Amino acid sequence: MPHALHAVCMASVEEVKKRHEARLMKTPGVVGVGIGRSGGKPVIRVYVDKDTPKVRKAVPDALEDVPVEIVVSGPFKAL
Amino acid sequence: MKPEEARQVCEAQYLGVEMEGVTSNLNPNVVGVGLGKKRTHGLLTEDVAVKVYVKEKLHPLLVKDGEVIPDEIEGVPTDIEQAGEFSIWRPIPPIYHRKVRPAMGGLSIGHYEITAGTLGCLVKRGQDVCILSNNHVLANENRGVEGDPILQPGRFDGGKEDKDVIARLDAFVKVEAEETNTVDAALALPFDARDVSPDILNIGRVRGTRAVGLEEKVMKSGRTTRVTNGVVQDVSATLRVGYATGSYLFSDQMIVRGDKGSFSAGGDSGALIMDFQGNAVGLLFAGSPFFTVANKIDNVQSALSVKVL
Repeated sequence: MPHALHAVCMASVEEVKKRHEARLMKTPGVVGVGIGRSGGKPVIRVYVDKDTPKVRKAVPDALEDVPVEIVVSGPFKAL
Repeated sequence: MKPEEARQVCEAQYLGVEMEGVTSNLNPNVVGVGLGKKRTHGLLTEDVAVKVYVKEKLHPLLVKDGEVIPDEIEGVPTDIEQAGEFSIWRPIPPIYHRKVRPAMGGLSIGHYEITAGTLGCLVKRGQDVCILSNNHVLANENRGVEGDPILQPGRFDGGKEDKDVIARLDAFVKVEAEETNTVDAALALPFDARDVSPDILNIGRVRGTRAVGLEEKVMKSGRTTRVTNGVVQDVSATLRVGYATGSYLFSDQMIVRGDKGSFSAGGDSGALIMDFQGNAVGLLFAGSPFFTVANKIDNVQSALSVKVL
């Protein structure tokens, strides 16, 4: 049962991410949006170029009750 | 006699360094002479000894009469150490950068106009066995044309068009600036099936394919950072990736964080990412200073209509 519960959880997080992704990707400094797990719970990850107060202010702490985690990744480049 | 004087005597005697009053008796087994703490039965002592470095340390009974090195030289102990032969560190390129036939996953490869990337693995398309890697490795970011020569090793690693062409560019999924991409993938058709192997260098055979979950451990074998381990930290990432020709949006990507240091670096593009059971899970293509990004293997297989071998 916990497995099914978990699957439902992730699916809804996926939907929440989809709804906000385009807007987040347009935020200056944001280079990616994804889903990860933090402390066993699903979180929306927002990957940023640089850690700046501006980008911290522009990205919300949570989206529809799903916590948002800012990850400083730097820019992504083809290797 | 002082240790320094004893050392000079040895140098003159065994190595032929000129010194007044000493006739040299070159010892072919001696490769060096120096000064250091004497080691007895493997333990360092406080005594300073003349170190005599030999190619091979032999039992005293096996040493030729004229080549026995005395235990001491006028009161200064000697210490014989096996050093092998000294040589300059020639920059022998690692196997990942060399020409290897049959070529396999992990090795340097590239379209003749790029630097170098990594050969991912072999895939089957109908009856053909093809090489799988990235579009930006085998098709030069959409600029390649079917039939273009593919070098193994890549040009940056010395690959030449007259002798290192292993395959021809066959097909690739275009990366689009106006759309959301899911794969950076291309196929090359080898001239001779015997020139390629389904192995992954230092990992082994691919067992199959599957989708990985969050926090799963993965590994890869790539041209630049070779075998590295990492953890999947995102399996549904959308991100913008910078290329030589512009920046492109990718969705449904996996992000890997290296276990110790970086999971990948420039030149690892095209490497197959595998789980610890040997299943292919992703195709490495991009990275940031902290993370590695890969296409999901299922998306690659369906975009090119291939099966990982």
